[in-house]
Amino acid sequence: MSTIKTENITKQFEGVHALDGVSLEIPRGRVTGIVGPNGSGKTTLVNVLSGIVRQDAGVLHIGGKEVSILKPQQVNAHGITRTFQEVRLFEQMTVLDNILVVVTERAVAASLFRRRQERCDREARQALETVGLWEKRSSPAAALSYGQRKLLEIARVLAMREAEVYLFDEPFAGLFPAMVDVVVKVMQGLKQEGKSVVLIEHSMDLIRQLCDTVIVMDEGKLLAQGTPETVFAKPEVIAIYVGK
Amino acid sequence: MSDVVMQLVVNSITAGALYAIIAIGFTLSYGVGKFFNLAHGVMTAIGAYAVFYLTKGLQIEAWLAVFIAIIFTGAVGWLLERYIYAPLRARKASTMVLLVASLGAFTALQGVLSILFSSQVQTLTQGSAVQQVVAFAGATITEIQIITIITAIATLLGFVVLLRYTLFGKSVRAVSDDEEVSKIVGINTTRVIGVVFFLAAATAGLAGILVGFDTAIEPTMGMALLLKGVIAAIVGGIGNIYGAVLGALLLGFVENFGIWKIAGEWKDAIAFALLIAFLLFRPHGILNKKS
Repeated sequence: MSTIKTENITKQFEGVHALDGVSLEIPRGRVTGIVGPNGSGKTTLVNVLSGIVRQDAGVLHIGGKEVSILKPQQVNAHGITRTFQEVRLFEQMTVLDNILVVVTERAVAASLFRRRQERCDREARQALETVGLWEKRSSPAAALSYGQRKLLEIARVLAMREAEVYLFDEPFAGLFPAMVDVVVKVMQGLKQEGKSVVLIEHSMDLIRQLCDTVIVMDEGKLLAQGTPETVFAKPEVIAIYVGK
Repeated sequence: MSDVVMQLVVNSITAGALYAIIAIGFTLSYGVGKFFNLAHGVMTAIGAYAVFYLTKGLQIEAWLAVFIAIIFTGAVGWLLERYIYAPLRARKASTMVLLVASLGAFTALQGVLSILFSSQVQTLTQGSAVQQVVAFAGATITEIQIITIITAIATLLGFVVLLRYTLFGKSVRAVSDDEEVSKIVGINTTRVIGVVFFLAAATAGLAGILVGFDTAIEPTMGMALLLKGVIAAIVGGIGNIYGAVLGALLLGFVENFGIWKIAGEWKDAIAFALLIAFLLFRPHGILNKKS
């Protein structure tokens, strides 16, 4: 059963088709890799799936419900969370606060008068320990190295326990091998929990290692979708991507 | 230190305290709204006129009138955010559009005050009441000026506690950093921004009330106070509440010492010279947002 389905999603930027009638399904409890050359529409697709960019035409189905317009403030309620190609943290805040702000009280009155709850502390610690940043919890986010910033963003989505769909936009880019192992384990853990993981990635080795399904995009169009073995065997895929 | 210098120091601190109360609210609303909310200025007049109406029209006790007026002014600020700025943001309005909208709100609300209360200068103090004056190290300071200084300190501490130590404060800082990501991680940014605009307007209202008890009120009082608050916020480092206070104090000192040997009419010119100097040589202010 799919968690997200798109029907004929189209998006143009100044006359250029970033997405051109893309129809696909993100299966539940699987890791789906999105590959394709630069400018093929991968990030635009993830931006549409997370409400950052509004499609010009086409419909989304999230958890079986039709959603014609997805706004950023509705993304969380639909159980979707994401990371960004260019890391976006709450720079003014400490590492711990970057996580606490995600797991804490939403009601204004309660958030004004209640101190941190034990549950929040526990969940924040768990997320930071998973990516190895607990020791850095008091550092300002702005003071972290590039790799640590990527890991903190991943910890932030991990802390969102109610999410069902995790969108990662090039999470391995610029990471040391040890950090890559951490992120691989995070994704495998999410899959074991039955969550859906969508991953934009250029490394074919990581795609083969992690993904159950691969979506190949080229010039805004969906070129192929299937298991890594079947997709990477297709001549058109070899021609536009693997063969390069 | 001569008595004159001491008096200038007291005047500087008093003026700085008043500017700080306005600048803190202005810089906070800028932090989450990302535009210059010029209607912040008219909130000072709304607060002052609310007290005027409650005490002189309805004969309510001054302390209760002040309390109601602060809440009322906060509510006006919240209404502007809820029904003007938030819908404009939802339509992807630029910061320039929001600025013009806030100028429109400023002008409209100032006009309403003029219609309701006339353009005459009024006082909040009772007829013949004379302010108590305290002598301090060769200088004098009025009771209301002492209250203004205490209020500025309390406002700063209150906002520091709110932003640093409450869960709500973390949400405010998150929205201030990246509103879009805040939405995606589930923060109700509309509500957070609404509360910040309420608090900002309430503090501006409080500043107007203090001015009203110290000197006098008139519907147009908001523009002069707004400009001083904006200068303080920019000089201090827009978006930073510590910067707002530092900028306000610097402005108070430069203004008051600037007119030591020259006519008082130069005060505003000196304030704007300070602003221009900062815009030219240190545009991010004394403390930039991330320092």
